[in-house]
Amino acid sequence: MNPALLQAAGEVFGRVDLWLIIVAAACYGVFVGAIPGLTATMAVALFVPVAYWLDPVAAIGAIVTMVACAIFAGDIPTVLLRIPGTPASAAYADQAYRLTEKGLAQQVLSVSLVSSVVGGVIGAVLLMVLGSQFAAIASWFSVTEYFWLYLIGLSCCVMVAPAGTRWKALLSLILGMLLSTVGLSAVHLQPRFTFHTVDLYQGISFIPAMIGLFGLSEVFANLASVRRGEDSVPSAGPIGAFGAMLRFSKAAMVSRFVKRPADTVRSSLMGVLIGMLPGAGADIASWVTFAAARRGGDRDADRELVDAIGDATTANSAALAGGWIPTLVFGIPGDSITAIVIGVLLMKNVTPGPAIFENQPSLVYSIYLVFLVANLVMLPVGLLAIRLGLSLVRIPKQILLPVIVLFCVTGAYSLNGSLFDVTVMLVMGGIGFLLNRRGFPLGPVVLGLVLGGPLEERLIQALTASGGNPLGLVNRPIAVVLAIATLLIIVRILRGQQRATA
Amino acid sequence: MRASVPISWLAACRATVCLATVCLAAFGCNRREQWPQRPVTLICPWSAGGGTDRVSRQFAVQLESELGVPVNVVNATGGGGVTGHTRGATATADGYTLTMATVELNMLHWRSLCPITPDSFEPLARINQDAAAIFVSADSPWQSIEDLEGQLRESPDPLRASGTAAGGIWHLALLGWLDRSGLPSDTVTWVSINGAAPSLQELMADGLEIVCCSIPEARALVDAGKIRCLGVMSNQRSPAAPDVATFAEQGIDWSIGAWRGLLFPQGVPAEHVTRMRQAILRVAGSDEFAEFMEASGFQVAVADGEQFADFLSQTDADFGRILNQPEMTQAPSSAIGPYFLPSILALFGLAIAAFGWGVSRRARASDLAAEPTDRVFWKSRLRSKDIEGRRANVATFARRWFPDAFHALASVATLPLFGFAAVIVLFILTCETLGYVISAGMMTLAMLLMLRVRLPIAVTATVVIVPSLYQGFAGVLGVPLPWGWLGW
Repeated sequence: MNPALLQAAGEVFGRVDLWLIIVAAACYGVFVGAIPGLTATMAVALFVPVAYWLDPVAAIGAIVTMVACAIFAGDIPTVLLRIPGTPASAAYADQAYRLTEKGLAQQVLSVSLVSSVVGGVIGAVLLMVLGSQFAAIASWFSVTEYFWLYLIGLSCCVMVAPAGTRWKALLSLILGMLLSTVGLSAVHLQPRFTFHTVDLYQGISFIPAMIGLFGLSEVFANLASVRRGEDSVPSAGPIGAFGAMLRFSKAAMVSRFVKRPADTVRSSLMGVLIGMLPGAGADIASWVTFAAARRGGDRDADRELVDAIGDATTANSAALAGGWIPTLVFGIPGDSITAIVIGVLLMKNVTPGPAIFENQPSLVYSIYLVFLVANLVMLPVGLLAIRLGLSLVRIPKQILLPVIVLFCVTGAYSLNGSLFDVTVMLVMGGIGFLLNRRGFPLGPVVLGLVLGGPLEERLIQALTASGGNPLGLVNRPIAVVLAIATLLIIVRILRGQQRATA
Repeated sequence: MRASVPISWLAACRATVCLATVCLAAFGCNRREQWPQRPVTLICPWSAGGGTDRVSRQFAVQLESELGVPVNVVNATGGGGVTGHTRGATATADGYTLTMATVELNMLHWRSLCPITPDSFEPLARINQDAAAIFVSADSPWQSIEDLEGQLRESPDPLRASGTAAGGIWHLALLGWLDRSGLPSDTVTWVSINGAAPSLQELMADGLEIVCCSIPEARALVDAGKIRCLGVMSNQRSPAAPDVATFAEQGIDWSIGAWRGLLFPQGVPAEHVTRMRQAILRVAGSDEFAEFMEASGFQVAVADGEQFADFLSQTDADFGRILNQPEMTQAPSSAIGPYFLPSILALFGLAIAAFGWGVSRRARASDLAAEPTDRVFWKSRLRSKDIEGRRANVATFARRWFPDAFHALASVATLPLFGFAAVIVLFILTCETLGYVISAGMMTLAMLLMLRVRLPIAVTATVVIVPSLYQGFAGVLGVPLPWGWLGW
């Protein structure tokens, strides 16, 4: 057996302090991730000063664990309160909450936890086995391919909507994209729709927007029904004993591996492949797999929905591992988290990039193993967190609603330390409330807000590089393939709509 | 008994006065000698994970032990640096807000993007400066700046380059070099890619021929032999890449780079400036910081107050000269204009909305069949002078044409909705002055009472939740929340 691998195994499994650090990081990650407004990136950035005192393996182990846990914990408020922690969970926020209203919260959360663990483990294995091959694929992607990939992500979010209401999803998406053009345009170096307000130069950040659209609007919806004597806050279902939750998790595990092995592998593969592309990897992965899982039409049966949510969480956890591929292989960060990781590694005198595989193979293997450990530690910590979350939601509604608002306000403020973001959250809360009442889905608004800017940038960059010739968008082989895929999705959407109106 | 009352009263009075005097004295002393007393905020104009963020966070940790109070980093991102620099310059001048300014401070005001100039700040110290460098792919034929220059001179097609958004520091660096070498600026097409990492990715995907950025940003790929550095735009070799020749060595007199420095807003009391500057210089000169900067590849270049002020005005004049050149003042050549995409989106959105409206109207046509549809009847009623009738008309009209909206408004209990919105607005307005705990406490209490929670329970909930939330965010996580009257 490979001596470097043995050494790495000894280093990862044989160290008590490392285990303690990982468990502590898992709790910290769950805590930060479950608070709307605090992101996984922020968790890592806040951790950097501590990382200075740890050795590379422990520092990386802690970061990997806290990110995996934070991304999963983002699902807890998504499912229980419809406040997504990340744009990735916005993909299924509405559907998951609808299940919660039916009293299935515990089941959805168990599936989400198990799928996250499975996705994380498969992602780690793929990273180990095929990392450098995948990296070669990533290096073929130029701005043109990104443009088409973003377009695929956007059209998938329209496809997720049931056939008759796709125009509503499209309209929400366009609203999101229009909002994303507010602020200083990076490619034009020109302010747009800012009305000479300095605050608007930064544009509308998607985290406060998301908290407002989903969280605050839900509080408004509740308030609107309070006076009419309806009780619409879902009872989260009876909190069973721990045994019940374990049973759910086991059922979910069985369903992942026995009933839907193909879907599980497909979701993980998609997650890793899309996640390794620098940019909004995990978010697109989540939308695309959610769309793929629901492609069969408009089956809205609960079972199908739970499975689709499982697929999406699998993909977004696998995407985390994907983000490490360009980081380790080229030293180019795959997302903002790996950018911090590169900083931490450099601080430890480790330069990521191809040389790391030759000079410090045991460190690379340690990172791989830490990925596995992190995902396994997540299982018990996640179960505890779900249980805690379920009991918190049982606080009487009159007290719960103000506390949710308090969290929304604090979360929106703390992202950038700006009261303007709180204003954005409030306005978006109003918009979300109105859109929701008229049956417009909110997820596409968030995706439009996240991808609108990059899409325009890539389009302009591709056109600049080709000297303004629109054919420059399809002059590379992968670009052509992606363009055809986009067209197919659009045709599918149109045909579905035609059938619905006919 | 009778006599003892005034005596004890007097004693109590005296004790209170004594206590107050002691407190005041202690407080006064504290104020003068033990500044700072509360957490300091360090504004970083760039997002978490970037180079400036890394430097800021490392600096904050060391400054914290130097000052004895927490130093919290806030990422005030967006607007290409406008947001962070503006917030830093307009912060309260009490010495509790520092800004990690970057080279964009020299550039934004020349592009009239914001009114903030180096004069809006009180310079404390510059801590770092990184020279620009030119990178090409390892399998490209060019070995030196001269080769590349030759290529640019002879080739009929422009080469594609990037490293940052158009008009950013690395774009200026490249244009300055072309200018010094007597090459026309259209020999290079600048693709506006936001950031060095995606530009390098694009270089590897053959989407670009040249990348201009600083050495630490590209070091991993240079070490890996994937890309080649042709020259550093500086007079001395970079410690991060000592074997790369400088532009000066290759016979080109051109040096430019990005810098980072700490600034106070204008108007901070002089003794606080001195105290903070001492602390900053001690940190910047420490071995620990030097070690961190070396490991990250950043070049430490400390300049204290006076030198930094001179440096700022010098670079500001330089950038003004470059940015006012005719080719720079023209709008950056972009394939499509800034309002192209928004207008396309708006048109598309209108079309979809019209379509959707049609669909939902058709779907509801059957429901409406029962209501009167005679147009003449409607016209005559709308013309009628009778106000009551008109009002009824409007209502019927609304119900007829916007059934959803009508239904929604009629069924919503608007009072608590607007109540909640109003208290959030109140929070936004009062938070900066009163502080987070008072404002958020008032907001929570008001909301609880609006939902008819009994007063004792509401007060208890507020008193328990708000301070613990503050402690959780500000204390445990180090995410600063507004500080106000209570010192919270």
